[in-house]
Amino acid sequence: MKLRVRINGADHELEARTDESILDVVRRELGLLSVRETCGIGVCGACTVLLDGEPVSGCLLLAPLADGREITTVEGLGGDDPVQQAFSDAHAFQCGYCTPGMILTAKRLLEETPQLTEDDVRAAMSGNLCRCGSYVKIVEAVLQAANA
Amino acid sequence: MSDPRATGSARYAEDFELPGMLHARIVRSLFPHARVVRVDASAVPESCIVLTPDDVRDLSPYGCQIEDQNVLAERARHVGDPVAAVAAPTPEQAEEAVPLVEIDYEQLPAVFDAVEAARPGAPLLHETAAAGGAAAYFAMRPQPGTNICHRFRIRHGDVDAGFAEADAIVERMYRIAGAQHAHMEPHACVAHWDGNRLELWTGTQTPFSMRDDLATIFGIPPEAIRIVSLPMGGSFGAKTFVRTEAIAAALARKAQRPVKLVLPRSEEWQTLNRHPATVTVKLGARADGTLVASQTTCYADTGAYADCGPGVAQKMGFAAPGPYRIPNVRVDAYCVYTNLAPNGAFRGYGQMQSTWARERALDTLAEQLGLDPVELRLRNIVRDGDVYCTGETLHDVRFAECLEAAAAAVRWSEGRRGKGIALVMKGMQTPSRAAIAIERDGDDYVLRCATTEMGQGAKRALSLEAARLLGVDVARIRFPDPDTSLVPYDTRTTSSRSTYMMSRALAEAVRDPRGYGEIRNEGGLDPDTGQGIASTHWHQGAAAADVEVDEETGKVTVTHLHTTTYAGRVVNRLGAELQTEGSMIMGLGTALFEEVAFEDGQVINANLSDYATPSFADVPTRFTYELIEEDGADVHGLGETALPPVPPAVGNAVASLGIEVDELPLKPETVLAAMKVRV
Repeated sequence: MKLRVRINGADHELEARTDESILDVVRRELGLLSVRETCGIGVCGACTVLLDGEPVSGCLLLAPLADGREITTVEGLGGDDPVQQAFSDAHAFQCGYCTPGMILTAKRLLEETPQLTEDDVRAAMSGNLCRCGSYVKIVEAVLQAANA
Repeated sequence: MSDPRATGSARYAEDFELPGMLHARIVRSLFPHARVVRVDASAVPESCIVLTPDDVRDLSPYGCQIEDQNVLAERARHVGDPVAAVAAPTPEQAEEAVPLVEIDYEQLPAVFDAVEAARPGAPLLHETAAAGGAAAYFAMRPQPGTNICHRFRIRHGDVDAGFAEADAIVERMYRIAGAQHAHMEPHACVAHWDGNRLELWTGTQTPFSMRDDLATIFGIPPEAIRIVSLPMGGSFGAKTFVRTEAIAAALARKAQRPVKLVLPRSEEWQTLNRHPATVTVKLGARADGTLVASQTTCYADTGAYADCGPGVAQKMGFAAPGPYRIPNVRVDAYCVYTNLAPNGAFRGYGQMQSTWARERALDTLAEQLGLDPVELRLRNIVRDGDVYCTGETLHDVRFAECLEAAAAAVRWSEGRRGKGIALVMKGMQTPSRAAIAIERDGDDYVLRCATTEMGQGAKRALSLEAARLLGVDVARIRFPDPDTSLVPYDTRTTSSRSTYMMSRALAEAVRDPRGYGEIRNEGGLDPDTGQGIASTHWHQGAAAADVEVDEETGKVTVTHLHTTTYAGRVVNRLGAELQTEGSMIMGLGTALFEEVAFEDGQVINANLSDYATPSFADVPTRFTYELIEEDGADVHGLGETALPPVPPAVGNAVASLGIEVDELPLKPETVLAAMKVRV
């Protein structure tokens, strides 16, 4: 099928199969490699993208369901986004594989709830796993971004 | 501008591609032990390349410590053992081809428990004891006619005489479940042949061991192989030695095209896990708490192939007595084949298992003697200049300091109900070699060394150290991905050795007019007596935990977790903090819920929903740690030290409530069962 989708601010018409995930499509068709598959079952959050601003698991979102909608990946934030900056400043990563998903989840959380406590961050981010265990510094980064 | 990890521009092994490459999948055994009678690939479309046992008959068996594994199995020894492989133009086509390969099996008797497998009469996995592999750094002691592929012993003093002197004796058996590394990036590699030269891009901690093992397999000189170790999205020991690379290379050889192989998540559990272990500890002490004898028997379940299991069992064994003065010590450690998926290197490397057993036994002994567990430990703790049961003298010893600091952190003196404490004494790869070359490129310095990056921050640590030693800004240091055709030999990026060993090689290189530095640490143990030098450098630490146990469900909640680690000189502050935090969190997973579950040899929780790893919600509300630093001291690797003491600190805290659990993990049902026999 032809998938009409706005990705990171640009309109695209992409070749996609109806049975594949948006994760596979954005990686293959656009080289957006920050979207990564770890668990493949929507548990770990490494494939998180924003669909019309809401975090969703890219590994579970079938490509046709993104038709006519807007997708944001971490590449679309540009690099100077306050959340990206806060993660860099707090050094809130080790291998960095989960980081794009963490940043996108945090971005939506901060838009929804500008006044955050540590417990809010932990609860809201629990759908994103980091096997390196950088959780303490990720919480610091999100709180820093909230106060930026 | 933000860090590449925050902008999405960081690249990993999984992202590497070559033009015209095919995508591979592995066809795996459905049975735990079976002879492959027939492989029929006639239904596979012609666009696919199929690799069958016939295609690899010219290849030699391999194994980093024992050469007991074939590229494809004609006799499958575990569920998931690679029997065939396919390569296709797209990953989807490769996936679709897998079920089209028809395989007939003749099933054989199987064994799934290491203690059972070690007994005479158990079904044998490997009839003949195989030769040692390229990365074997000690003599193997296979026990003919059994599944024991290596036996390690310590004989120090006279344990029988020691126990005869004891006023109190504790003897208990501890069981530790297997675990899955669950590195977020799967195993991924691309293989390509250029004539008779093999080039391989892969996420590996062990580029030179990989090169040497592939040279053995393909019967070509190591110099005809180039390994590029790309950054890894986590590893924790999983991306070591040959995992998927030999299959990718054999497929590429047959296809005459580059082949990429990325493991689907579920196949990670069939590729490598952590050794399940059964450890029996017997401790004897005088009434005043003075330890007089220690006896440990370890069974490390290495699964279907030895991999580095002999080394894991040996370290499990030599770390077992721990940082205590004990005049009479006996250790017997066995590395045993079973029909489970292979078990290998995992953060903590055998020492987590024996640390759990010993530190739990010490608390049981303290209880029997009516002594405070901290007091019992302090009464026996090793001090600077003491001689360990291996005969080596211990230097720069900080165990007492670690223990006292950890006890103070949980306010031990204000009451110890719900609290637990534990010590770890962890060895570092001995012997080993590290070398580095510094090249000038304009105003920049290029570091050429085989230290790999898996998120542990080695590149950052060594770049900072290079900048300090050269007196330049760190921005002028470049550190390309290790390429065995361009970097000098280094043993491996394992056992928390890189910052320590490679920074010393770096200091040599800075002093050398040619910019080359090489460092060796010498030693090793006699496998029959355990005498020699186990480790030229010991990692030292303590953990303390404060817990609550839900009386109705048995769920353990850690309300405060603390570790104190001897860090010596810290090179990379943020890296040191992150590695310590990560080790503690991984230790909590091992303590509370991580367990590879099997039924008839089949992993039944091979996904990240049924196999849970710690999340934000699992980090204790109070989560503290301390790095003991010393100006001018050695650099101490911090990649693992804070992990092994965490499970026994938690277990001892639970035991302080009268709930004695000898098994890891401390899952609710286990704790609930222990509450029924509460003391």
